[in-house]
Amino acid sequence: MPNINLGPQEVTPDMPAHTPGIQQGNAKGSYEKMQGHNPDGTSTSRRSTGVNPKAQEPIDPSMPNLSPG
Amino acid sequence: MAVRERIKPEAGKLVDMAWDPITRIVGNLGIYTKIDFDNREVVSCKSTSSLFRGYSVFMKGKDPRDAHFITSRICGICGDNHAVCSCYAQQMAYGVKPPPLGEWIVNLGEAAEYIFDHIIFQDNLVFVDFCEQMVKETNPSLWSKAESTDAPHAEIHGYRTIGDIMRSYNPFTGETYKEALLMSRIGREMICLMEGRHVHPSTIYPGGVGTVATPTLLTDYLSRLLRCLDFIKKAVAMNDDVFDFFYEALPGYEEVGRRRILLGCWGAFNNPLYCNYKYTDMDNWGNEMFVTPGVVVDGELVTTNLVDINLGIRIMLGSSYYEDWVNEETFVPTDPLGNPVDKRHPWNQTTIPKPQKRELEGGNYSWVMSPRWYDKRTGDNLALDTGGGALARLWATALAGKVDTPFVKATGQSVLINLPKTPNTAEQTLEWRIPQWSNAIERDRARIYFVAYSAAMAMHFVDQAFNEIRAGRTKVFEDFDVPDEAIGCGFHEAVRGVLSHHLVIRDGKIANYHPYPPTPWNGSPTDSYGTPGPYEDAVMGQPIFEENDQDNFRGIDIMRAVRSFDPCLPCGVHMYLGKGKTLRQVHSPMFGEHG
Repeated sequence: MPNINLGPQEVTPDMPAHTPGIQQGNAKGSYEKMQGHNPDGTSTSRRSTGVNPKAQEPIDPSMPNLSPG
Repeated sequence: MAVRERIKPEAGKLVDMAWDPITRIVGNLGIYTKIDFDNREVVSCKSTSSLFRGYSVFMKGKDPRDAHFITSRICGICGDNHAVCSCYAQQMAYGVKPPPLGEWIVNLGEAAEYIFDHIIFQDNLVFVDFCEQMVKETNPSLWSKAESTDAPHAEIHGYRTIGDIMRSYNPFTGETYKEALLMSRIGREMICLMEGRHVHPSTIYPGGVGTVATPTLLTDYLSRLLRCLDFIKKAVAMNDDVFDFFYEALPGYEEVGRRRILLGCWGAFNNPLYCNYKYTDMDNWGNEMFVTPGVVVDGELVTTNLVDINLGIRIMLGSSYYEDWVNEETFVPTDPLGNPVDKRHPWNQTTIPKPQKRELEGGNYSWVMSPRWYDKRTGDNLALDTGGGALARLWATALAGKVDTPFVKATGQSVLINLPKTPNTAEQTLEWRIPQWSNAIERDRARIYFVAYSAAMAMHFVDQAFNEIRAGRTKVFEDFDVPDEAIGCGFHEAVRGVLSHHLVIRDGKIANYHPYPPTPWNGSPTDSYGTPGPYEDAVMGQPIFEENDQDNFRGIDIMRAVRSFDPCLPCGVHMYLGKGKTLRQVHSPMFGEHG
């Protein structure tokens, strides 16, 4: 540690943001839980909307599914 | 290597001149020189910084997933470069590879950053040194010559004489100055499209991005890019005309800011077809980057291997306000390939600040450490510079001859840049050729060529991203778990040059974290071997072309030399110390830089 006179600490330096027990969005398996995201990396209209998403799918199944942002 | 030479001032001959802080850059950079006005030469130069940041100190113990959000705050202009570099390091540590579309989106954001940042620095800050007002004040005879010299590329940019171009650079009133402000705004809009926010991105994470990729996103980006291209085509021609004029009108101007060719580039724009973020494969995927990493010594490409580049990094002390860390913990004795890692490598560094009085003569005078690159062929610790970023990137890429896309091709001696037809201008092919010197003019010239390079690369990335979206592959993020123990390193290019982040994780927390941005390389003080830093080296021995006498001296040639490196030390007020004499010395070791 540096040999400098410092004032009293206001926070604990060792204070990670994550609280144990809280689900982590980055954790493996999170992708599968998300609606509208397919295992092959494609997505469906459900990704963008929960209101009658099937009606928003492409009219031709061979078309790419490009859900709105 | 140039070795620091102690100059003994002789009464009436050498004059102390100091600029502290230097303006129109980011941060607290001070340049202290001794000028021989009889021989019109700078005989000694010291580069100092009075800002301590301490990121490497307070990153310890934090959640590694916060690293890119925190380190982004290192800089208020290229924070996204830090965020991306940190994500690269984290991805290596977590063992996660983002989906290709995620990688293309990061590349698009970074290309826009290079476009925005280089344009605002070049046209709004550097060219103030080359504008009508400045040239009139510092070299009146040059101005009359500029007024009567025809611009060779007048048909492209529309300015008849060199003087007309310089007039357009006048701050706040010049046409180019005002247009560049608009272009840099468009560039920032492009970054926001891809990275959510500028300067501190909100949608860049380890494992991918949070940007929702749609055709509209890419067309919004593309329409802005095409608008920038109209400006870029004109700007390259104007830059060439002005810089060539300086060489012609002021014989010997190539010596301004000239130093030995010692350039480092850590590579940019990962190629998702090859990049898996594994350290053991780093040589392979590093060579597939769309800006090739490399170390160029005396015009020769020493290596393009990121593993060699990584292991060669040494952080020296010698003139910096820190205690040595030789007796501290060695975090990474060997890399994942079994190679020994030096105690002076960032993975093993411990930052121990030691504030003290600034002592320019034989003592410590800067908060910046002295990063060097160990050349195993010769055993030298080289004071690499980045040539303001663009020069090293183009030089390494050109020599390596690996980049081959429809828009950019490296030939071995040059880089060919194909710019498509845009609303107001025809198709154009630019060629950046390896210059004879590493000097102020070539650093400045390379900057605008790299803007063109980035824009052309962005065209390629848009094509690739469209291919993914049209195939329906919209995944942009990959899940990962944070390991308890891991190490990682990220290599990237901040706008003004090399950027590396080194990370050690223990117990799921950061045990050691060291970001090395370009300015510690460029602005480093003299190291423990007596090797001066690049600013010092470039300014020392340079001739003075300014026509003003000692009492009205502006130091324009020194400013051009230092600003050509695009100094970025996170801003200050101008405090010129009058008539070459220091009026008051204040010993304040705080407020300065260490990344």
